[in-house]
This record gives sequence, structure tokens and C-alpha cells, in this order.
Amino acid sequence: MTATQATGRLGSRSSHVVVAGLLLGASIAVIVGTAFTTEEPVPGIPAPGPFVNYGVPIVRVLLDVAASLVVGLSLLPKLLGFDRPDRTEPVMRRAREAAVTAAWGWALAAFTAIVLQTAELYPDRFPTPGLVMQYVGDVGAGQGLLLSGACALAYAGLGLLAVRFGEKVPAELRIIVAFFGLLPIPVTGHAVNSVWHDPIMIGMEFHVMGSAAWVGGLLAVILFVARDRELLARALPKFSKVATVCLAVVGVSGLISGLSTIALTPGTELPGSLFTTGYGILVLAKVACVALLIPLAAHIRFRLLPAVVARRGTAVMAWAATEITVMGVAYGVAVVLTRASVAG
Amino acid sequence: MRRLLTVLILAWAGVAWLSAPANAHNVLIDSDPKKDSSVASAPRSVTLVFDQPARQGFAQVTVTGPGGTRWEQGPVKVSGAKVTSPIKPLGPAGKYVIGYRVLSSDGHPISGTVRFTLTAPGPGASPPPASPSASSPGSAAGSPSPSTAPVAVQEAPPAQDLSAEAAEAAQNGGAGVAVAGMAVAILLLGVGTVVALRRGRPAPSGDQDAKGASA
Repeated sequence: MTATQATGRLGSRSSHVVVAGLLLGASIAVIVGTAFTTEEPVPGIPAPGPFVNYGVPIVRVLLDVAASLVVGLSLLPKLLGFDRPDRTEPVMRRAREAAVTAAWGWALAAFTAIVLQTAELYPDRFPTPGLVMQYVGDVGAGQGLLLSGACALAYAGLGLLAVRFGEKVPAELRIIVAFFGLLPIPVTGHAVNSVWHDPIMIGMEFHVMGSAAWVGGLLAVILFVARDRELLARALPKFSKVATVCLAVVGVSGLISGLSTIALTPGTELPGSLFTTGYGILVLAKVACVALLIPLAAHIRFRLLPAVVARRGTAVMAWAATEITVMGVAYGVAVVLTRASVAG
Repeated sequence: MRRLLTVLILAWAGVAWLSAPANAHNVLIDSDPKKDSSVASAPRSVTLVFDQPARQGFAQVTVTGPGGTRWEQGPVKVSGAKVTSPIKPLGPAGKYVIGYRVLSSDGHPISGTVRFTLTAPGPGASPPPASPSASSPGSAAGSPSPSTAPVAVQEAPPAQDLSAEAAEAAQNGGAGVAVAGMAVAILLLGVGTVVALRRGRPAPSGDQDAKGASA
């Protein structure tokens, strides 16, 4: 009894460390990046205040984190398998509840982002409900966020059914709704106006889905499975395969869309603009994050995984927490990147 | 599972292709007067050219002269990628700054400045009182030439955009219904969440861990 309580408390404390690392990495990246890319004030034209200027990217990164967590928690039943319900069910029960909570956070972040982006577009007016609806009606980015928030709410509904009825609610359905909710945002986000528009856009969709599966999957495994050696030994090898695919997808799609956006934007060119423009430096920062993630992931994959499979105690939690913090930084940089001017 | 995901991606690619004609922040590629140029005769208007169309009704342009004097004289006209603002006859020679804020085609507002120098005093050399606000869509409402007025937020769009107006109205109406429906859905879901998580709480097994995780 005392032993379980002790491990429970320990586990919960290290869970907090993981989540805090993620959020801290993301917020620092957002604040530094936003300070770095904020446009100069223009004489005579009202500019959004610091609350909106920093609020929009912070809410956007919270949205990304919550959405990734929802995706990861949806993938969890697939990672754990269905053949040992007595063992997996206690974990899954908590994961389902957490998924509903995260979906609420996702929806809340999406709707807050709509209000803040309205305030950003009309810096001299208060975002009344009428103005917010006008924004959603006029601007595609608002519609994308609304659709994403709606998907998050649909997921919350579905997740509630799963809380009530367990795995009778198909895991695939939850995975698809979660992924679907990710897709509207890059559509209305950032790519380039040319024949390459569609390939870049599809690349961005893969980028978003890949990173959500990777970050969310790792979060779900660490937060809900890591303290049970038996379950970790089943889930981590499967996740490791998923993560390898995600790493490739995220790296390739990110490089292609980042570099081609610079190459296709008038006034910027490769490779010079990588170092001279804020956008280029942000792309380099993301490349650095992925470069940092590779050895961390490789250490878990090749050094720790055999011990995990052998049900021995490992430092996988600490390594994964480090990895997740770097991922948080990458998420923060990503949000700043979607808002930065390519030429600036 | 894999097949479903493929279908999903293809379906969404179709939606993306239909609904996203252009998605990037606009980039200023040209202007009249040109950036950091010197002009001898005062221009009657300033023009900003972007790499892709700016959104109608959101463009703001200011022209600030020596000593913070203001010279723009709305309304701002957006035609495709070109944003034009008439200006008053410029006054004293010196440095002028064109300031702009436009809504990118991807829905992200961008702003910036273009500086130019007037080398000889213009016709309006006795400076007019600085105008209080930008020639934003709002101040453009009282302009004497409504036929050239851009589609502005507060005023009625011109006749040639009737279909666009209708489409926009339909979109707004749709958004209103969607918002109302969503509010009801949120309410139901919220109640559902509270009830379900309350009832789920006293679970026979794994209770310890649940408390640990939620603490």
C-alpha cells in the first residue's frame, strides 16, 4: 500500500517535470522568437499591444501541445495492445479521461486563439462577439481554427463515450478525429503562392500529423506507461517504430517546406536568406532541434530499449523528458515560424 | 486503419486545394516612390505592390513627413496585389515614411514602412494640420469619391462586389448558426464531462494511480 503510494507520488512528480519541461521549452521559444520577429511599429497605424502580440503565439503553442497529447493518447491503445485488458485497462481508463481533458484544452485554446487573432487584426477595437464572428466569416485562419476547435469538441464527445464504454469505442475512430482536427490549421497557415502550393501544403499536413504522433505518442507513453515496466516493455518497441517513421516524415517535410518557401518568396534566396532573415534563422533553429532530437531518440532506441524489453529499470524517463523539452522548443519555434514574415 | 488514414489525407488534400487559393504572408516587392529613393517632384499618390493580392477592406496606409506631419488622403484602394493611397500635395523637402498594414491573403496582418526623400519642396509647402488618424477604412467612409472606395469594414461594399457581398453574408450567417450550434454542443459536452468523470471516479481498481495522476 505504502509502496504503491510512494511510486504513485514519485511517478506523478516526474510527470509534472515532463509536462513542465515541455511547456517551459515551448513558452521560452515563443517569447524569444516573438520578441525577435515582432514588426516595427508603423507611424500612424495602431499595432496590437504586447498582450495580443505574445498571447496569440502562446495560445497557439498550447493548442498544438493539447492536440498532440490528444493524438498521443488516442494512439496509446494501439501501442499497448488489447490482449491483456486486466493489465492495460487501469492505464487506459486514466488515459481516456486525460484525453477528454486535453481535448477540452485544445478546443479552449482554439477558441481563445480566434478571439486573440481578431484583436490582432483590429488592434484599435475590442473583440466583441460580433467582431469575432465577422473575423471568422472573413478570414480563413479563423475558419480553420473554428473547424479545429469543433473537431476537438467532437473528440471530447467521443472520448466521453470511451470513458463510459471503454474500448468498445474504436481506437481508430478517435485517432482519425484527432488527426482530422489538426489538418485545418496548416491549410490556412503558411505556404507559398505558386505551382508548388499544393505539394507544400500536403507536406505541411504530413509535418503536423507526424510531429503530433511523435510528440504526443512519447508524452502518452511517458506519462501513463513508463512507471509500469511490463507495459513499457510492450509499448516502447512499438512506439519506437512509429517514432522512427515520424522523425523521417517530420524532418523531410519540414526541410522541404521551409527551404522551398524561402526559395519561392520574392526577395529571398537560398542559402543566404537562411542566415540573414528572421524566417531563415527560425528554420535553422528547427533544424537544430531535430538534430538535437536524433541522438536523444537514438539513445533511447538503441541503448535503453533492450533493457526496457528485458524489464530492467532504466533512465528512460529522464531521457524522454529531455527529448520532450527539446520538442517543446521546436513547437514554440514552429508557431513563431508560421507567424513570421518570410522576407523579414 | 491505414486505408482510412489514406482516405482522410486524400479528402483533406482536396479540401485544401479547393479552399486555399493562396497561403503565405504577403511580401512587399515594389513601391512608388521606391524604397530609399529620392524624388524631386511630389507624387500625388503612393503605391505598394505585394507578391500576391492583399485582402480588400483591411489595408491602411499612412504617409508621415518631416516633423511628424501627415499627408495621406484616403481612401486606400486595393486592386489585387496593388495598394494605392492618394496623398495631399507634399510640403517641405525632407524624409517621408510610407507606413502600411495589410491583411495577407493567408489572413495574417503584416505591416512595414517604406522611406523616401523629397529633394525639392512640393506644392503644399505650408504644412497642413496633421491628420489625426490613418486613412483607414473607417476614416475613408466620409470620403467624397465613393465610386473608387475600397470595400471597407464599416461601409457598404461597392456595387461590383455584390456577389462577393452576398457570399460573405451567407458565410457570416453560416458562421452564426455554427456558433450557436457549437455553443449548445459545448454545453451538452461540458455537462457530460462533469457527470462522466464524476461517475468514473470511484473505480474499483487503479484508483490509487488515478489520484496520483490527477493530483
